[in-house]
Amino acid sequence: MNSAPADRSSAPMTPIYGRISRRELHSPRSTVAIIVAVVAILICAWLGTEIVLLMIGQPALLATPTELATGVASVSTVPASLLTTIALACALIAIVLLIVAVTPGRRARHLIDSERTVTVVDDEVIASALAGRAARVGGINPDNTRVSISRRLATVHLVPTSGQPVQRDSVQQAVRDQLDGLHLRPTLQTRVVVAVGGKVGT
Amino acid sequence: MNNTNRALNRSVILVTGLALLAVATLLGLLATQATLRDAWASVADRVGGTVADWLQSTPLANTRNSWIWIIVLTLLLGVVGLLLSFILRQGRGHSGHLISEQTSDWGTTQVDSTVAEQALQHALGEHPEFLSTRVSTYRVSRDAVLKVSVTCRRGTSPADVVHVVEQALLALDELLGLRIPALLQISGGFRVRTGHTTRVP
Repeated sequence: MNSAPADRSSAPMTPIYGRISRRELHSPRSTVAIIVAVVAILICAWLGTEIVLLMIGQPALLATPTELATGVASVSTVPASLLTTIALACALIAIVLLIVAVTPGRRARHLIDSERTVTVVDDEVIASALAGRAARVGGINPDNTRVSISRRLATVHLVPTSGQPVQRDSVQQAVRDQLDGLHLRPTLQTRVVVAVGGKVGT
Repeated sequence: MNNTNRALNRSVILVTGLALLAVATLLGLLATQATLRDAWASVADRVGGTVADWLQSTPLANTRNSWIWIIVLTLLLGVVGLLLSFILRQGRGHSGHLISEQTSDWGTTQVDSTVAEQALQHALGEHPEFLSTRVSTYRVSRDAVLKVSVTCRRGTSPADVVHVVEQALLALDELLGLRIPALLQISGGFRVRTGHTTRVP
């Protein structure tokens, strides 16, 4: 590796890199925010249209502002069951929105420690690399290996070809070696699960 | 990477959620509490009367309408404008310039981001294990930052990808004479799954 540029201190970049990696690992919540904004715009546009229609003396689209106001005023005369249903629906949407707003919204990604760049890798890429390795070491078809990755745990599910035992420990060792070589942050623990039933080989 | 205002996004969602929760609580109480129903009816009556009076007492020129409607319309338009600009602000932050430096007293040197983008694109395009690469430039707190997105084939080790891209970036550093901060994003796209492994006996 060429060492001349690498020798320069990477210290001035650290705040930028911290900011970038934080933003890459968490969802911006743009989709939900845009949906909320679009719904609000539609409501505002509808109210505005009704007001304009009232002012130029045309029939209303759905309800005139007066009808709307009386509707809100007489909400207490609506049957209780209907009110409860509406209240529950509102509460449900509200709770979903509050959860979206408050939770960190981690993306299924990991950081890779590297010197020159901030590197983020999708969990599915790690999973497919691990699956390929586990299949090779275990001597089974890659289609019969399944890897699921959470924030701190990689689980390898193996369905052995019937009649061929799988060395669980050697697969575990191989997977762990590969993970060590990746320098992921946060690091992943490994777990290898070998299915009890085999699959007739292809 | 982009300069989407994430705090604002979350605040908008939070405020909407709280407002909806308040409405839900109110409706729930109205459904269950009889005393509250009576109070609601009387308050609504009084408020309705007041608003009707206002509308009566604020005629617009010689029409039957009130100029309060005009104010309400303007407010609604303002809200819509704010929300539209909020939506359009999402995902911005691309930059066309990589470096802009005052190199002498009488001029500046500007390097377009396409220089770095095409150099990297060319260097990474030769690798068959990358299904696609995309290089773009963003501005993060006034510094240009390169974003290299790599979609790789099924089973490619991320360590190899990191190595290849770092080599390309170091070559670019050499070419430019300074280090541009860079983000490497490794993803497996939709096409990653469609590849089928064949077993050679």
